[in-house]
Amino acid sequence: MKLLTHNLLSLHVWGVGPRGFPLCLQATEVPINPVELNPEFVAPMIPKVEWAVLLEAANTLHLVEVPKEQIEGYEHDEKFLKKMHHVLLEVDVLKGTLQCPESGRLFPISRGIPSMLLSNEETET
Amino acid sequence: MHPFYIPDIGCDRSQSLVDICRERHFPAFVCDALAVPIRSGACDACISVAVIHHFATAERRAAALQELARLLRPGGKALVYVWAMEQEYNEKKSKYLRENRTSPRREEGVSSRSSGAAVLVEQVPDAGPPEPARQGSPLGDFQEGGRNSRKATSAKLPVHTNRTSFHSQDLLVPWHLKGHPGNHKPAEPLGRGGPQGPSPVFHRFYHVFREGELEAACRTLSDIRVLRSYYDQGNWCVVLEKV
Repeated sequence: MKLLTHNLLSLHVWGVGPRGFPLCLQATEVPINPVELNPEFVAPMIPKVEWAVLLEAANTLHLVEVPKEQIEGYEHDEKFLKKMHHVLLEVDVLKGTLQCPESGRLFPISRGIPSMLLSNEETET
Repeated sequence: MHPFYIPDIGCDRSQSLVDICRERHFPAFVCDALAVPIRSGACDACISVAVIHHFATAERRAAALQELARLLRPGGKALVYVWAMEQEYNEKKSKYLRENRTSPRREEGVSSRSSGAAVLVEQVPDAGPPEPARQGSPLGDFQEGGRNSRKATSAKLPVHTNRTSFHSQDLLVPWHLKGHPGNHKPAEPLGRGGPQGPSPVFHRFYHVFREGELEAACRTLSDIRVLRSYYDQGNWCVVLEKV
């Protein structure tokens, strides 16, 4: 699971509304997977980033050199985009958990895949 | 090094199918289409191919469309494909009807989803064992495996004969694991395959859509507008835009 994915994940229950954001990340296996940098694809992601969530996750994973916020002129700042590219796309959580801040429910991440299924009881209004 | 990354994410109810995405280096997660765990308004575009026709009630089908709308940012677009009841349209038979059962299949795995739901019925060579029916899933009795599918309602669901026209909108479509000779016989219940040994057949629920039905379902949503509505190889399709 990439940190870009984590940044977008939020529990939302049909007919009820948002339930849990952000999901608290814990991880035990976090390899780095090199991905070719394409600034054209990284730049549009920047305005969508929830920075508090990203920084919390980066902190949990002991990542360094993580930008703290969107900067002026980010679209053309190669250094900034490179760092964001690394944090969002190259860090890969293989094994860990995501925890709902409201219910405490844990969702597993295994083989890099988060499984976000809710039970019947949890989806009942 | 992978080729440049396109920021898209996939999701599916089936762990096995999501595993395949992962093998092919596509980020994906497992979830229910009625409760997609993504922030509202986070998506520029969504694609839903061969998904909504698996929901057993009009209410759930509408709810799945509502989820797509919720995920989109204003101006974002969604593409939806569902299987059509009309497999012959404008006097042309769809690929699903035309294709000879014994001809070799080239499409496989994830790519089949974009070429129409019909392909799912026979190929699945790499999908691995189907999901065991889960208790208490929102999909209720209509899981793959079909063990509970018949006790769900008092009305009987017809079992479809592959590669023929649909005579009912709600039906079970048999799914034979690749390599089994069961394709030329009517589908048999799991485990009863005859002298060659058990020939696993899974009954998958489908609600096939009539002309205009998908569009009508979309129009009940207040926050989207239908941009395009068309027929494509045995599928009814819409392009929606979030207002």
